Amino acid sequence: MSVTDELTGPGKPSFHLEEMVLNMGPQHPSTHGVLRLVLHLDGELAVSVEPVLGYLHRGFEKLAENRTYLQYLAMLSRLDYLSGTFMEWSYVRSIETLMNIEVPKRAEYIRVIVSELNRIISHEVAIGDFMLNLGAVTPFFWVFRDREDVMDLLEMVTGQRMMYNYMRVGGVRWDLPEDFEAGCRKFLKEYPAKIDDYEQLITDNEIFISRTLGMGIIKPYEALDYGLSGPNARASGIDWDLRREVGYSVYPEFDFKVPLGQHGDCFDRYKCRIEEMRESVKIVEQALDALCGGPVNLKLPPMLRPPAGDIYRAVESPRGEYGVYLVSNGDLRPWRLKLRDPTFSAISMIPKLTAGNKIADLVAIVGSLDLLMGGVDR
Amino acid sequence: MTPDSGKLTSQQALEHARDLLGKIARDLTISEWHLVIDVRGDDLPEAALRLRDDKKLSCKYISSIIGVDYVDWMETLYLLRSQDHSVPIRLRVRLDREKPEVPSVAYIWSGANWHEREAYDFFGIKFLGHPDLRRILTREDYDTHPMKKDAWPHRVRRTEWRWENIERPRRLPGETDRRDRS
Repeated sequence: MSVTDELTGPGKPSFHLEEMVLNMGPQHPSTHGVLRLVLHLDGELAVSVEPVLGYLHRGFEKLAENRTYLQYLAMLSRLDYLSGTFMEWSYVRSIETLMNIEVPKRAEYIRVIVSELNRIISHEVAIGDFMLNLGAVTPFFWVFRDREDVMDLLEMVTGQRMMYNYMRVGGVRWDLPEDFEAGCRKFLKEYPAKIDDYEQLITDNEIFISRTLGMGIIKPYEALDYGLSGPNARASGIDWDLRREVGYSVYPEFDFKVPLGQHGDCFDRYKCRIEEMRESVKIVEQALDALCGGPVNLKLPPMLRPPAGDIYRAVESPRGEYGVYLVSNGDLRPWRLKLRDPTFSAISMIPKLTAGNKIADLVAIVGSLDLLMGGVDR
Repeated sequence: MTPDSGKLTSQQALEHARDLLGKIARDLTISEWHLVIDVRGDDLPEAALRLRDDKKLSCKYISSIIGVDYVDWMETLYLLRSQDHSVPIRLRVRLDREKPEVPSVAYIWSGANWHEREAYDFFGIKFLGHPDLRRILTREDYDTHPMKKDAWPHRVRRTEWRWENIERPRRLPGETDRRDRS
């Protein structure tokens, strides 16, 4: 007689001893797109969690080998559709470095302005989604309401609300419209009060605190070991921001802080994003003040031929280190293009981070990592 | 890159890495302030461990593992970066294209696990000693490694992908096209 028969035999209470396998996703609303998590459950506890990727795989890296450098630009904002300018930026930076192009100063300021505005809306979605995962619906609507203001500004500049396709090799596509500066300054004046509103609604909320404080702790050495970057790593106290460390573009001219967390739990990751939004507002203000005249792009031939060589360039995106590794053989098309996405590393940490937690906490931890599958599956 | 105080410059990092790795490093170069170290596949785990555990160049962070197919040979690149200073390091391993095999570094950096799975998926590079070498982005029963340059031998040039060239199913006798009936 086996152990199972002994426990579930006649006269014994009937219950199942085997663990249950449950698929969370790929259409589950709290998996941020098409991430599938295979949960092995023991009652309400997740014994092990296995992420399954590839539901959004579009072969972006292979497609690059069939397109000219300029043609491929339009695809890059489809990768991480909440923060499109950053992948564009790292891509054009890598080509500019290969071709030894100096970008006009005004274009650099415009890039900073557009990217930091983009960072604000990306963090807003991150926070709103996180709260939605925890069951709080109001913040989600608040951030989407306030996000519209920034989307309008970005639409004014780029002509698109999400898929910007605004960066060009040697500058940006076109200059800022006339009424942008006034609108942007108005937004920047009003926005910090809105962040205060979020904080009042979320940060001081007792339910939120009890569900996130001390939950999903990432130790500093674990964050490094798994290759986390961006707010996820900074919440663990890793003082690392490419904007400051590498100082690309005109970032060394600006005065901004890099917010750090202490414990690396879900609460710290949320708090880091809130603080980063405040810093982004400061950066945009400084960039608007420093905005100088001059051309916004260089007249380059449409068929670019970067010299043969390889290059890796990264920018600090809302989710961490976005990198482009480009191999050129001097032809019209890239020989190899690798797109490095920080969320890929963050997802690889989920099994370690969530095993042994309850399902509700698992959702909180996954939500706090700010996952976005567009860049992961490529 | 502005040389800040307290941070290694690329040249200092190169000299330190040369002392640290000794004969393991076959070649050290600086490309745009990135330090590129060529190692043989057999020496890779040793080089990776030394770089990770060194006090000065503590490469605790692995950014990515990249496979590249150069038709005559293959390469894997390990993008490393230490948090203390800002010299990114690229470990470069040249592989035999017929038999692309390289020791896994998944036990040195936990983050390397998935990056190696991706390189295996796209290029068919076998990472020896990897705990779980499966496909990650493409489907499990995919019959090729799509990023290899010869992955699709049947593929014709794009200009030939025209509608006239596509063989349509032959119509059975008596069968009429739906458009004829309407």
